[in-house]
Amino acid sequence: MEEYLFIFRGGDAREVQQSPEQMQEHMQKWMKWMEQLGQKEILVAGQPLKNEGKMVTSGGSVVTDGPFAEGKEIVGGYLLIKAANIEEAAEISKGCPIFDHEGTVEVRPIQSMEMN
Amino acid sequence: MDKGANAEIINHTNSIIEHFFRHESGKIMAHLTKRFGAAHFELVEDAVQDTLMKAMQVWPFKGIPDNPSAWIMTAARNRVIDGLRRTNRQDNLEALPVLNEAEPEKQQVYTEDELEDDMLRMMFNCCHPGLSPDSQLILTLKILCGFGKAEIASALLKNEEAVAKALSRGKKKLADLENELEVPAGHALGQRLNMVLSVLYLLFNEGYNASHGYKLVRKDLCLEAIRLCHLLLENKHCNLPHVKALLSLMYLQAARLDAKVDENGELIPLPAQNRSAWNKEMISRGIEYLIQSAEGNRLSEYHIQASIASCHALAKDDESTDWRAILRLYDSLMEVNPSPVVALNRVVAFYKVRGAEKALNELETVASSKQMKNYYLFYSVKAELLKENGQLSKAKQELNQAILLTKNESEQTFLSKKLQSLN
Repeated sequence: MEEYLFIFRGGDAREVQQSPEQMQEHMQKWMKWMEQLGQKEILVAGQPLKNEGKMVTSGGSVVTDGPFAEGKEIVGGYLLIKAANIEEAAEISKGCPIFDHEGTVEVRPIQSMEMN
Repeated sequence: MDKGANAEIINHTNSIIEHFFRHESGKIMAHLTKRFGAAHFELVEDAVQDTLMKAMQVWPFKGIPDNPSAWIMTAARNRVIDGLRRTNRQDNLEALPVLNEAEPEKQQVYTEDELEDDMLRMMFNCCHPGLSPDSQLILTLKILCGFGKAEIASALLKNEEAVAKALSRGKKKLADLENELEVPAGHALGQRLNMVLSVLYLLFNEGYNASHGYKLVRKDLCLEAIRLCHLLLENKHCNLPHVKALLSLMYLQAARLDAKVDENGELIPLPAQNRSAWNKEMISRGIEYLIQSAEGNRLSEYHIQASIASCHALAKDDESTDWRAILRLYDSLMEVNPSPVVALNRVVAFYKVRGAEKALNELETVASSKQMKNYYLFYSVKAELLKENGQLSKAKQELNQAILLTKNESEQTFLSKKLQSLN
């Protein structure tokens, strides 16, 4: 088993004014999906991100508020999971409720110390 | 030690009940509006929305907190305080500590009783006589029941823009009335309570009389009306016989909801309903509250309607229903509320007791009303009576006439089927 990072972009229901009922339904979908990952013992770690931050650029000399990416591109959180290979990891990500709101999942293998 | 999502650390033992966010939002809106004033209404609304969004984003990773209600209340309260600080619109903000969302158990700044009182106060405010009944209903749905604009528009068959306009007018009115927003006492309380009851009755009927077809959101309206009526009863000033009668009526009718529509979402009239699908628990509660409502010296419309509903609820089928009792009850109801709809329902009971020919005569007295001329059920009833009286071709004529007058597909389908059964 290898580790893979899921980077969640967009899909933030902030863009669409959701009612309390809709937010609860959406939240429960996320919970169910993550519970399943936990039960399969492939969930390693994960955090949601606040919708604010800083950009440090120009050789480290400039610090600005940001990133002000378009809604679709804003990274909202990450999960670290275990899978046999990247195809399996991508398949697992398909169950993510982020797709209900046109979000995306970037799937990246963690670079390991293996000598191959 | 917050490691975020981790199979061992995500707390799976806590869970939240159905409609939790919606109900909590009503509770919090009521409490924080009372605390910070109706002038800051928009701020409170935004705070609640932002808080629920945060919960939606964070709880899947960190688990549901041990006391989700307290978490949401505290977070929303903090957001309001932040908002007030940003706009410098409140004095003595230094005295308000920003509470730690992670330790809500230490922050029991309100009691259950206080929360219920706040809900009641908000209900009374939403039903202020300065607002139209329509606006009262929309405000109640938005603020107390936590429905979104689109959900309200869909439930009330209005377009979203109209709902948005009604909401902003209503909220502005509430802000303007700030000084008058104390819950009235004594005689004024009785009057306002009656207004609240009409809104609850309106809310229930919106859910019950699904003339355009049945949607899940409609049943929710009935259940919301019942929930709010319970809230009224928990307050000693509102624990009155006619409030119990309304609750009885709502339970007895709601009991029939599952039997009211077929698989295609079409309405099944009462005589044809499968009574084993009626909710026994609700019928039982309805009867219980009807018994409890039988005190005091005032017979309200709700008492009579609940009694009629109980006759149906307790009957094995249409034939064994105590139609004489129902007819007597409709006679009483006509004295209190001589509306054409009540008169029409009375004719049906009259027919069951005295037969089709006499009922057709009774119907003539109702026919002259303007409301009846455009009411599709009038023609349906008339056709039924004509059919029972052996006048088939006249019956068909009436139905054809009616179909021309229908306003929507459901009504058309209903009448077309009746017509087909006559052929």
